[in-house]
Amino acid sequence: MNICNGSVFALAMSSCLAFLSAGCDMIEYHPYDLDINGETGINDKNIRRIESSLAGRKSISFAVISDTQRWYDETEDAVEAINSRNDIDFVIHTGDLSDFGLKLEFEKQRDILNRLVVPYVCLLGNHDCLATGEQVFSHIFGKENFSFTAGNVHFVCLNTNALEYNYTTAVPDFSFLKSEQDNFPAHAEKTVVAMHAGPYSEQFNNNVADFFEESITRFPSLQFCVYGHGHNVSVDEFFNDGILYYECASAKKRSYLHFTINENDYTYEVYSY
Amino acid sequence: MKCTPTKIIFLLCVLTFLSLPESGIAGLSATDTTALHTRKWDKRVHLKYQRWEKLKPTHVKLQYAGGMGMFAVGAGWDYGKRCQWETDFLWGFLPKRYAGGKTRSTFTVKQNYIPWSVSINEQWAIEPFYCGLYMTTITGDEFWKKEPGKYPNKYYNFSTKIRPYIFIGQRFGFNPSHSLLRNISAYYEISTCELYLISKATNRYIRMKDILRLSFGIRMQLFRKR
Repeated sequence: MNICNGSVFALAMSSCLAFLSAGCDMIEYHPYDLDINGETGINDKNIRRIESSLAGRKSISFAVISDTQRWYDETEDAVEAINSRNDIDFVIHTGDLSDFGLKLEFEKQRDILNRLVVPYVCLLGNHDCLATGEQVFSHIFGKENFSFTAGNVHFVCLNTNALEYNYTTAVPDFSFLKSEQDNFPAHAEKTVVAMHAGPYSEQFNNNVADFFEESITRFPSLQFCVYGHGHNVSVDEFFNDGILYYECASAKKRSYLHFTINENDYTYEVYSY
Repeated sequence: MKCTPTKIIFLLCVLTFLSLPESGIAGLSATDTTALHTRKWDKRVHLKYQRWEKLKPTHVKLQYAGGMGMFAVGAGWDYGKRCQWETDFLWGFLPKRYAGGKTRSTFTVKQNYIPWSVSINEQWAIEPFYCGLYMTTITGDEFWKKEPGKYPNKYYNFSTKIRPYIFIGQRFGFNPSHSLLRNISAYYEISTCELYLISKATNRYIRMKDILRLSFGIRMQLFRKR
Protein backbone atom coordinates (compact mmCIF):
# COMPACT_ATOMS: atom_id res chain seq x y z
CA MET A 1 0.00 0.00 0.00
CA ASN A 2 2.77 2.39 1.02
CA ILE A 3 4.78 1.52 -2.05
CA CYS A 4 1.71 2.13 -4.19
CA ASN A 5 1.13 5.52 -2.57
CA GLY A 6 4.80 6.35 -2.97
CA SER A 7 4.80 5.53 -6.66
CA VAL A 8 1.59 7.51 -7.22
CA PHE A 9 3.15 10.45 -5.41
CA ALA A 10 6.37 10.10 -7.45
CA LEU A 11 4.36 9.92 -10.66
CA ALA A 12 2.36 12.99 -9.69
CA MET A 13 5.52 14.88 -8.78
CA SER A 14 7.35 13.91 -11.94
CA SER A 15 4.39 14.84 -14.15
CA CYS A 16 4.22 18.15 -12.25
CA LEU A 17 7.93 18.74 -12.93
CA ALA A 18 7.52 17.75 -16.57
CA PHE A 19 4.64 20.21 -16.88
CA LEU A 20 6.69 22.94 -15.16
CA SER A 21 9.74 22.43 -17.35
CA ALA A 22 7.60 22.31 -20.51
CA GLY A 23 5.79 25.42 -19.29
CA CYS A 24 9.07 27.22 -18.66
CA ASP A 25 10.25 26.45 -22.20
CA MET A 26 6.98 27.88 -23.47
CA ILE A 27 7.35 31.17 -21.61
CA GLU A 28 9.04 33.65 -23.90
CA TYR A 29 9.38 37.39 -23.42
CA HIS A 30 10.18 38.12 -27.05
CA PRO A 31 11.17 35.99 -30.07
CA TYR A 32 14.30 38.14 -30.38
CA ASP A 33 15.25 38.10 -26.68
CA LEU A 34 18.58 36.67 -25.50
CA ASP A 35 17.17 34.16 -23.02
CA ILE A 36 19.04 31.26 -24.62
CA ASN A 37 18.23 27.64 -23.83
CA GLY A 38 20.86 24.93 -23.92
CA GLU A 39 24.49 24.73 -24.95
CA THR A 40 26.58 27.82 -25.74
CA GLY A 41 30.19 28.41 -26.85
CA ILE A 42 30.04 25.61 -29.45
CA ASN A 43 32.85 26.78 -31.76
CA ASP A 44 35.49 27.06 -29.04
CA LYS A 45 34.68 23.62 -27.64
CA ASN A 46 34.67 21.99 -31.07
CA ILE A 47 37.88 23.74 -32.14
CA ARG A 48 39.62 22.19 -29.12
CA ARG A 49 38.29 18.77 -30.21
CA ILE A 50 39.43 19.29 -33.83
CA GLU A 51 42.88 20.57 -32.87
CA SER A 52 43.59 17.82 -30.36
CA SER A 53 42.29 14.90 -32.45
CA LEU A 54 44.08 15.96 -35.66
CA ALA A 55 47.36 17.21 -34.17
CA GLY A 56 50.36 16.00 -36.20
CA ARG A 57 48.26 14.73 -39.14
CA LYS A 58 49.44 15.50 -42.70
CA SER A 59 46.14 14.51 -44.28
CA ILE A 60 42.73 15.76 -43.23
CA SER A 61 39.19 15.36 -44.49
CA PHE A 62 36.24 17.69 -43.87
CA ALA A 63 32.72 18.40 -45.08
CA VAL A 64 31.17 21.81 -45.83
CA ILE A 65 27.46 22.52 -45.34
CA SER A 66 25.80 25.90 -45.69
CA ASP A 67 22.57 27.89 -45.70
CA THR A 68 20.49 25.47 -43.65
CA GLN A 69 18.02 28.22 -42.71
CA ARG A 70 14.44 27.00 -42.22
CA TRP A 71 15.34 23.66 -43.84
CA TYR A 72 15.41 21.67 -40.63
CA ASP A 73 14.38 18.34 -42.15
CA GLU A 74 17.07 18.68 -44.85
CA THR A 75 19.65 19.65 -42.21
CA GLU A 76 18.76 16.49 -40.27
CA ASP A 77 19.32 14.47 -43.44
CA ALA A 78 22.70 16.15 -44.00
CA VAL A 79 23.76 15.26 -40.45
CA GLU A 80 22.63 11.69 -40.98
CA ALA A 81 24.48 11.45 -44.31
CA ILE A 82 27.71 12.77 -42.76
CA ASN A 83 27.34 10.49 -39.72
CA SER A 84 26.87 7.44 -41.95
CA ARG A 85 30.47 7.64 -43.17
CA ASN A 86 33.64 7.49 -41.12
CA ASP A 87 36.19 9.32 -43.28
CA ILE A 88 35.24 12.88 -42.27
CA ASP A 89 37.19 14.57 -39.47
CA PHE A 90 35.02 17.66 -38.97
CA VAL A 91 32.33 19.86 -40.56
CA ILE A 92 32.35 23.55 -41.47
CA HIS A 93 28.98 25.34 -41.72
CA THR A 94 29.51 28.48 -43.83
CA GLY A 95 26.63 30.47 -42.34
CA ASP A 96 22.91 31.25 -42.50
CA LEU A 97 21.66 28.95 -39.78
CA SER A 98 18.67 31.22 -39.34
CA ASP A 99 16.25 32.76 -41.80
CA PHE A 100 14.79 35.51 -39.60
CA GLY A 101 17.53 35.88 -36.95
CA LEU A 102 15.18 34.34 -34.34
CA LYS A 103 16.65 32.78 -31.20
CA LEU A 104 14.54 29.66 -31.74
CA GLU A 105 16.15 29.07 -35.15
CA PHE A 106 19.69 29.08 -33.75
CA GLU A 107 18.69 26.75 -30.89
CA LYS A 108 17.00 24.27 -33.20
CA GLN A 109 19.85 24.29 -35.74
CA ARG A 110 22.34 23.75 -32.91
CA ASP A 111 20.30 20.82 -31.59
CA ILE A 112 20.37 19.16 -35.02
CA LEU A 113 24.07 19.87 -35.68
CA ASN A 114 24.95 18.58 -32.19
CA ARG A 115 23.95 15.13 -33.45
CA LEU A 116 27.04 15.16 -35.70
CA VAL A 117 29.50 12.55 -34.48
CA VAL A 118 32.42 14.74 -35.59
CA PRO A 119 33.01 18.29 -34.30
CA TYR A 120 31.70 21.24 -36.32
CA VAL A 121 32.14 25.01 -36.49
CA CYS A 122 29.66 27.63 -37.73
CA LEU A 123 30.34 30.89 -39.55
CA LEU A 124 28.14 33.97 -39.40
CA GLY A 125 25.76 34.37 -42.36
CA ASN A 126 23.93 37.53 -43.40
CA HIS A 127 20.54 36.21 -42.17
CA ASP A 128 22.22 35.45 -38.83
CA CYS A 129 22.87 39.20 -38.44
CA LEU A 130 19.18 40.18 -38.45
CA ALA A 131 17.80 41.92 -35.33
CA THR A 132 19.52 40.32 -32.29
CA GLY A 133 20.69 37.34 -34.37
CA GLU A 134 24.37 38.23 -34.23
CA GLN A 135 24.28 38.37 -30.41
CA VAL A 136 22.49 35.01 -30.24
CA PHE A 137 25.02 33.58 -32.72
CA SER A 138 27.96 34.82 -30.67
CA HIS A 139 26.49 33.28 -27.48
CA ILE A 140 25.67 29.91 -29.00
CA PHE A 141 28.51 29.54 -31.53
CA GLY A 142 31.20 32.18 -31.06
CA LYS A 143 33.11 35.01 -32.72
CA GLU A 144 32.39 36.37 -36.22
CA ASN A 145 36.08 35.95 -37.19
CA PHE A 146 38.00 32.95 -35.90
CA SER A 147 40.61 30.42 -36.90
CA PHE A 148 41.77 26.95 -35.99
CA THR A 149 44.40 24.46 -37.09
CA ALA A 150 43.43 20.96 -38.20
CA GLY A 151 46.56 18.83 -38.67
CA ASN A 152 48.88 20.97 -40.75
CA VAL A 153 46.14 23.17 -42.25
CA HIS A 154 45.18 26.51 -40.75
CA PHE A 155 41.51 27.46 -41.33
CA VAL A 156 40.67 31.17 -41.36
CA CYS A 157 36.91 31.79 -40.97
CA LEU A 158 35.70 35.27 -41.85
CA ASN A 159 32.63 37.45 -41.57
CA THR A 160 32.14 38.83 -45.11
CA ASN A 161 28.56 40.13 -44.71
CA ALA A 162 29.54 43.76 -45.28
CA LEU A 163 26.04 44.88 -46.35
CA GLU A 164 24.76 44.16 -42.81
CA TYR A 165 27.21 46.52 -41.12
CA ASN A 166 27.11 50.16 -42.35
CA TYR A 167 30.89 50.59 -41.86
CA THR A 168 30.53 50.32 -38.06
CA THR A 169 32.51 47.07 -38.15
CA ALA A 170 35.40 46.23 -40.47
CA VAL A 171 34.03 43.58 -42.86
CA PRO A 172 36.14 41.78 -43.92
CA ASP A 173 38.42 42.57 -41.00
CA PHE A 174 41.88 43.16 -42.46
CA SER A 175 43.47 43.70 -39.05
CA PHE A 176 42.24 40.22 -38.11
CA LEU A 177 43.82 38.83 -41.30
CA LYS A 178 47.07 40.66 -40.52
CA SER A 179 47.21 39.30 -36.97
CA GLU A 180 46.45 35.80 -38.30
CA GLN A 181 49.42 36.11 -40.66
CA ASP A 182 51.69 37.54 -37.98
CA ASN A 183 50.76 34.79 -35.54
CA PHE A 184 50.52 31.92 -38.01
CA PRO A 185 50.91 28.65 -36.05
CA ALA A 186 54.39 27.15 -36.36
CA HIS A 187 53.07 23.63 -36.98
CA ALA A 188 50.72 24.70 -39.80
CA GLU A 189 51.90 24.60 -43.41
CA LYS A 190 48.78 25.31 -45.46
CA THR A 191 45.78 27.63 -45.30
CA VAL A 192 42.08 27.39 -46.20
CA VAL A 193 39.86 30.48 -46.02
CA ALA A 194 36.13 30.06 -45.28
CA MET A 195 33.45 32.75 -45.50
CA HIS A 196 29.69 33.12 -45.97
CA ALA A 197 29.36 35.56 -48.88
CA GLY A 198 31.96 35.19 -51.62
CA PRO A 199 33.69 38.06 -53.45
CA TYR A 200 31.46 39.94 -55.92
CA SER A 201 28.23 38.89 -54.24
CA GLU A 202 25.95 41.76 -53.14
CA GLN A 203 26.90 41.19 -49.48
CA PHE A 204 30.67 41.44 -50.05
CA ASN A 205 32.50 44.76 -49.81
CA ASN A 206 33.50 44.64 -53.48
CA ASN A 207 35.37 47.91 -53.29
CA VAL A 208 38.11 46.03 -51.43
CA ALA A 209 37.81 42.71 -53.32
CA ASP A 210 41.28 43.08 -54.91
CA PHE A 211 42.82 44.08 -51.61
CA PHE A 212 41.10 41.06 -50.01
CA GLU A 213 42.65 38.79 -52.65
CA GLU A 214 46.08 40.32 -52.04
CA SER A 215 45.64 39.92 -48.31
CA ILE A 216 44.52 36.27 -48.22
CA THR A 217 47.08 35.11 -50.79
CA ARG A 218 49.78 36.18 -48.33
CA PHE A 219 48.84 33.19 -46.16
CA PRO A 220 51.31 30.28 -46.44
CA SER A 221 50.30 27.86 -49.19
CA LEU A 222 46.66 28.97 -49.57
CA GLN A 223 44.83 25.92 -50.92
CA PHE A 224 41.37 27.24 -51.78
CA CYS A 225 38.40 29.15 -50.33
CA VAL A 226 34.96 27.82 -49.35
CA TYR A 227 31.78 29.86 -49.06
CA GLY A 228 27.99 29.69 -49.22
CA HIS A 229 25.26 32.32 -49.58
CA GLY A 230 24.42 31.65 -53.27
CA HIS A 231 22.52 28.41 -52.52
CA ASN A 232 24.20 26.59 -55.42
CA VAL A 233 27.29 24.53 -56.07
CA SER A 234 29.90 26.41 -58.08
CA VAL A 235 33.66 26.62 -58.57
CA ASP A 236 35.20 29.95 -59.59
CA GLU A 237 38.60 31.47 -59.87
CA PHE A 238 37.56 35.03 -59.08
CA PHE A 239 40.94 36.75 -59.34
CA ASN A 240 43.01 34.82 -61.93
CA ASP A 241 45.47 33.95 -59.20
CA GLY A 242 45.05 30.16 -59.22
CA ILE A 243 42.90 30.21 -56.06
CA LEU A 244 39.60 28.39 -56.48
CA TYR A 245 36.46 29.42 -54.60
CA TYR A 246 34.13 26.50 -53.88
CA GLU A 247 30.52 27.41 -53.23
CA CYS A 248 28.40 25.05 -51.12
CA ALA A 249 24.70 24.69 -51.91
CA SER A 250 21.89 25.38 -49.43
CA ALA A 251 20.35 22.49 -47.47
CA LYS A 252 17.33 22.69 -49.77
CA LYS A 253 19.49 21.42 -52.64
CA ARG A 254 20.47 18.46 -50.45
CA SER A 255 24.18 18.32 -51.09
CA TYR A 256 27.39 18.91 -49.17
CA LEU A 257 31.02 19.35 -50.19
CA HIS A 258 33.76 16.98 -49.12
CA PHE A 259 37.44 17.91 -49.21
CA THR A 260 40.47 15.79 -48.45
CA ILE A 261 43.76 17.67 -48.14
CA ASN A 262 46.67 15.27 -48.63
CA GLU A 263 50.39 15.89 -48.30
CA ASN A 264 50.81 16.99 -51.95
CA ASP A 265 47.30 17.65 -53.26
CA TYR A 266 43.63 17.85 -52.34
CA THR A 267 40.41 16.28 -53.61
CA TYR A 268 36.96 17.83 -53.88
CA GLU A 269 33.62 16.03 -54.20
CA VAL A 270 29.96 17.01 -54.10
CA TYR A 271 27.73 14.53 -52.24
CA SER A 272 23.98 14.45 -52.60
CA TYR A 273 21.82 13.10 -49.79
CA MET B 1 2.41 64.76 -35.94
CA LYS B 2 4.42 61.63 -35.39
CA CYS B 3 2.53 59.16 -33.25
CA THR B 4 5.13 57.42 -31.08
CA PRO B 5 4.23 54.71 -28.54
CA THR B 6 5.19 57.07 -25.70
CA LYS B 7 2.58 59.56 -26.86
CA ILE B 8 -0.10 56.94 -27.13
CA ILE B 9 0.71 55.72 -23.63
CA PHE B 10 0.53 59.29 -22.37
CA LEU B 11 -2.88 59.68 -23.97
CA LEU B 12 -4.04 56.45 -22.38
CA CYS B 13 -2.90 57.70 -18.97
CA VAL B 14 -4.90 60.89 -19.50
CA LEU B 15 -7.96 58.87 -20.46
CA THR B 16 -7.60 56.65 -17.41
CA PHE B 17 -7.30 59.72 -15.19
CA LEU B 18 -10.40 61.27 -16.74
CA SER B 19 -12.39 58.15 -16.12
CA LEU B 20 -11.64 57.97 -12.38
CA PRO B 21 -14.98 58.22 -10.53
CA GLU B 22 -13.54 60.80 -8.12
CA SER B 23 -12.51 63.05 -10.98
CA GLY B 24 -14.44 66.31 -11.07
CA ILE B 25 -14.75 66.28 -14.86
CA ALA B 26 -16.53 62.96 -14.79
CA GLY B 27 -19.07 64.43 -12.38
CA LEU B 28 -20.17 66.93 -15.02
CA SER B 29 -21.13 64.23 -17.46
CA ALA B 30 -24.50 62.83 -18.30
CA THR B 31 -25.76 60.03 -16.13
CA ASP B 32 -24.53 56.56 -16.94
CA THR B 33 -27.03 54.16 -18.27
CA THR B 34 -26.03 50.70 -17.32
CA ALA B 35 -27.47 47.89 -19.30
CA LEU B 36 -27.62 44.71 -17.35
CA HIS B 37 -27.78 41.63 -19.48
CA THR B 38 -28.63 38.95 -17.03
CA ARG B 39 -28.72 35.52 -18.56
CA LYS B 40 -29.03 32.27 -16.81
CA TRP B 41 -25.34 31.49 -17.02
CA ASP B 42 -23.73 34.62 -18.44
CA LYS B 43 -23.79 37.51 -15.97
CA ARG B 44 -21.30 39.81 -17.64
CA VAL B 45 -22.14 43.45 -17.20
CA HIS B 46 -21.72 46.01 -19.90
CA LEU B 47 -21.45 49.62 -18.90
CA LYS B 48 -23.10 51.61 -21.63
CA TYR B 49 -21.56 55.02 -21.51
CA GLN B 50 -22.97 57.99 -23.36
CA ARG B 51 -21.15 60.20 -25.86
CA TRP B 52 -17.55 61.14 -24.94
CA GLU B 53 -17.65 58.91 -21.90
CA LYS B 54 -17.36 55.99 -24.26
CA LEU B 55 -13.66 56.87 -24.32
CA LYS B 56 -13.32 55.60 -20.76
CA PRO B 57 -11.43 52.32 -20.69
CA THR B 58 -13.55 49.57 -19.16
CA HIS B 59 -10.63 47.58 -17.78
CA VAL B 60 -6.89 47.44 -17.19
CA LYS B 61 -4.62 44.45 -17.81
CA LEU B 62 -1.26 43.14 -16.71
CA GLN B 63 0.29 40.41 -18.84
CA TYR B 64 3.34 38.29 -18.24
CA ALA B 65 5.30 36.97 -21.29
CA GLY B 66 3.77 36.17 -24.68
CA GLY B 67 6.23 38.02 -26.91
CA MET B 68 5.35 41.50 -25.60
CA GLY B 69 8.22 41.77 -23.12
CA MET B 70 8.52 40.44 -19.60
CA PHE B 71 5.48 42.35 -18.32
CA ALA B 72 3.02 44.47 -20.23
CA VAL B 73 0.40 46.79 -18.77
CA GLY B 74 -2.42 48.60 -20.46
CA ALA B 75 -6.06 49.49 -20.71
CA GLY B 76 -8.85 48.46 -22.99
CA TRP B 77 -12.49 48.56 -23.91
CA ASP B 78 -15.11 45.85 -23.95
CA TYR B 79 -18.07 46.13 -26.28
CA GLY B 80 -20.76 44.12 -27.99
CA LYS B 81 -24.12 42.96 -26.64
CA ARG B 82 -22.55 40.45 -24.26
CA CYS B 83 -19.15 42.17 -23.82
CA GLN B 84 -17.82 39.54 -26.15
CA TRP B 85 -15.27 41.88 -27.75
CA GLU B 86 -12.28 43.49 -26.08
CA THR B 87 -9.59 45.73 -27.53
CA ASP B 88 -6.48 46.42 -25.46
CA PHE B 89 -3.47 48.69 -25.79
CA LEU B 90 -0.48 47.42 -23.83
CA TRP B 91 2.96 48.81 -23.06
CA GLY B 92 5.60 46.28 -22.09
CA PHE B 93 9.28 46.12 -21.32
CA LEU B 94 12.08 43.66 -22.01
CA PRO B 95 14.75 43.94 -19.27
CA LYS B 96 18.28 44.62 -20.48
CA ARG B 97 19.63 41.21 -19.50
CA TYR B 98 17.33 39.70 -22.13
CA ALA B 99 17.87 42.45 -24.68
CA GLY B 100 21.63 42.82 -25.05
CA GLY B 101 22.39 45.47 -22.43
CA LYS B 102 19.58 47.91 -23.14
CA THR B 103 16.00 47.77 -21.85
CA ARG B 104 13.50 47.62 -24.71
CA SER B 105 9.89 48.77 -24.76
CA THR B 106 7.10 47.00 -26.58
CA PHE B 107 3.75 48.30 -27.69
CA THR B 108 0.88 45.93 -28.41
CA VAL B 109 -2.62 46.22 -29.84
CA LYS B 110 -4.69 43.21 -28.87
CA GLN B 111 -8.10 42.08 -30.06
CA ASN B 112 -9.99 39.47 -28.01
CA TYR B 113 -13.17 37.54 -28.81
CA ILE B 114 -14.74 36.03 -25.68
CA PRO B 115 -17.86 34.17 -26.84
CA TRP B 116 -18.96 32.60 -23.56
CA SER B 117 -19.02 33.32 -19.87
CA VAL B 118 -20.35 30.73 -17.47
CA SER B 119 -21.40 31.95 -14.01
CA ILE B 120 -20.80 29.51 -11.22
CA ASN B 121 -22.48 31.72 -8.63
CA GLU B 122 -22.91 35.46 -8.02
CA GLN B 123 -19.20 35.87 -7.48
CA TRP B 124 -17.38 33.40 -9.67
CA ALA B 125 -17.43 32.95 -13.45
CA ILE B 126 -15.40 31.09 -16.05
CA GLU B 127 -14.76 32.17 -19.59
CA PRO B 128 -13.94 28.69 -20.90
CA PHE B 129 -12.59 29.70 -24.28
CA TYR B 130 -11.55 32.87 -25.96
CA CYS B 131 -9.28 33.73 -28.85
CA GLY B 132 -7.81 36.64 -30.71
CA LEU B 133 -4.78 38.23 -32.23
CA TYR B 134 -2.29 40.91 -31.43
CA MET B 135 0.41 42.93 -33.12
CA THR B 136 3.44 43.80 -31.08
CA THR B 137 6.29 46.17 -31.90
CA ILE B 138 9.60 46.70 -30.11
CA THR B 139 12.00 49.63 -29.73
CA GLY B 140 15.67 49.44 -30.76
CA ASP B 141 17.76 50.31 -33.81
CA GLU B 142 18.42 46.67 -34.65
CA PHE B 143 14.73 46.17 -35.49
CA TRP B 144 13.16 47.59 -38.62
CA LYS B 145 9.59 47.81 -39.82
CA LYS B 146 10.61 48.06 -43.46
CA GLU B 147 13.95 46.94 -44.87
CA PRO B 148 16.47 49.79 -44.78
CA GLY B 149 17.27 51.27 -48.19
CA LYS B 150 20.74 49.69 -48.33
CA TYR B 151 19.24 46.32 -49.26
CA PRO B 152 18.24 45.34 -52.80
CA ASN B 153 14.46 45.42 -53.25
CA LYS B 154 12.62 42.72 -51.22
CA TYR B 155 15.89 41.26 -49.96
CA TYR B 156 14.54 39.84 -46.70
CA ASN B 157 10.87 40.56 -47.27
CA PHE B 158 9.64 40.59 -43.66
CA SER B 159 9.72 42.91 -40.65
CA THR B 160 11.91 42.26 -37.61
CA LYS B 161 10.06 44.93 -35.61
CA ILE B 162 6.38 44.02 -35.93
CA ARG B 163 5.19 40.54 -34.94
CA PRO B 164 1.59 39.38 -35.36
CA TYR B 165 0.41 36.72 -32.90
CA ILE B 166 -2.65 34.51 -32.64
CA PHE B 167 -3.82 33.03 -29.37
CA ILE B 168 -6.43 31.03 -27.47
CA GLY B 169 -7.03 31.26 -23.74
CA GLN B 170 -9.20 30.76 -20.66
CA ARG B 171 -10.24 33.20 -17.96
CA PHE B 172 -11.39 32.81 -14.38
CA GLY B 173 -13.27 35.76 -12.94
CA PHE B 174 -14.30 36.97 -9.50
CA ASN B 175 -16.70 39.78 -8.53
CA PRO B 176 -15.57 41.10 -5.15
CA SER B 177 -18.65 43.40 -4.72
CA HIS B 178 -16.31 46.30 -4.05
CA SER B 179 -17.04 49.90 -4.98
CA LEU B 180 -13.83 50.38 -6.99
CA LEU B 181 -13.07 46.90 -8.26
CA ARG B 182 -15.98 45.48 -10.24
CA ASN B 183 -14.38 42.30 -11.47
CA ILE B 184 -10.97 40.70 -11.39
CA SER B 185 -10.04 37.79 -13.61
CA ALA B 186 -6.91 35.76 -14.17
CA TYR B 187 -6.15 34.39 -17.60
CA TYR B 188 -3.67 32.29 -19.46
CA GLU B 189 -3.10 32.16 -23.20
CA ILE B 190 -1.33 29.92 -25.67
CA SER B 191 0.02 31.89 -28.58
CA THR B 192 2.33 31.76 -31.57
CA CYS B 193 3.65 34.26 -34.08
CA GLU B 194 3.64 34.14 -37.86
CA LEU B 195 7.38 33.38 -38.25
CA TYR B 196 7.00 30.33 -36.00
CA LEU B 197 4.02 29.10 -38.01
CA ILE B 198 5.97 29.52 -41.26
CA SER B 199 8.84 27.50 -39.78
CA LYS B 200 6.49 24.76 -38.59
CA ALA B 201 4.56 24.54 -41.85
CA THR B 202 7.50 23.30 -43.92
CA ASN B 203 9.32 21.09 -41.38
CA ARG B 204 8.40 17.83 -39.67
CA TYR B 205 11.25 18.53 -37.27
CA ILE B 206 9.52 21.58 -35.74
CA ARG B 207 6.88 20.37 -33.27
CA MET B 208 3.89 22.22 -31.87
CA LYS B 209 5.61 22.46 -28.47
CA ASP B 210 8.51 24.30 -30.16
CA ILE B 211 6.30 27.10 -31.45
CA LEU B 212 3.57 27.46 -28.79
CA ARG B 213 4.11 30.09 -26.13
CA LEU B 214 2.47 30.46 -22.73
CA SER B 215 1.48 33.74 -21.12
CA PHE B 216 -0.45 34.78 -18.03
CA GLY B 217 -2.35 37.88 -17.06
CA ILE B 218 -4.79 39.70 -14.84
CA ARG B 219 -7.70 41.81 -16.02
CA MET B 220 -9.44 44.24 -13.71
CA GLN B 221 -12.73 46.00 -14.37
CA LEU B 222 -12.19 48.99 -12.20
CA PHE B 223 -15.34 51.04 -12.12
CA ARG B 224 -18.40 49.65 -10.51
CA LYS B 225 -21.71 50.84 -11.89
CA ARG B 226 -23.16 53.69 -9.95
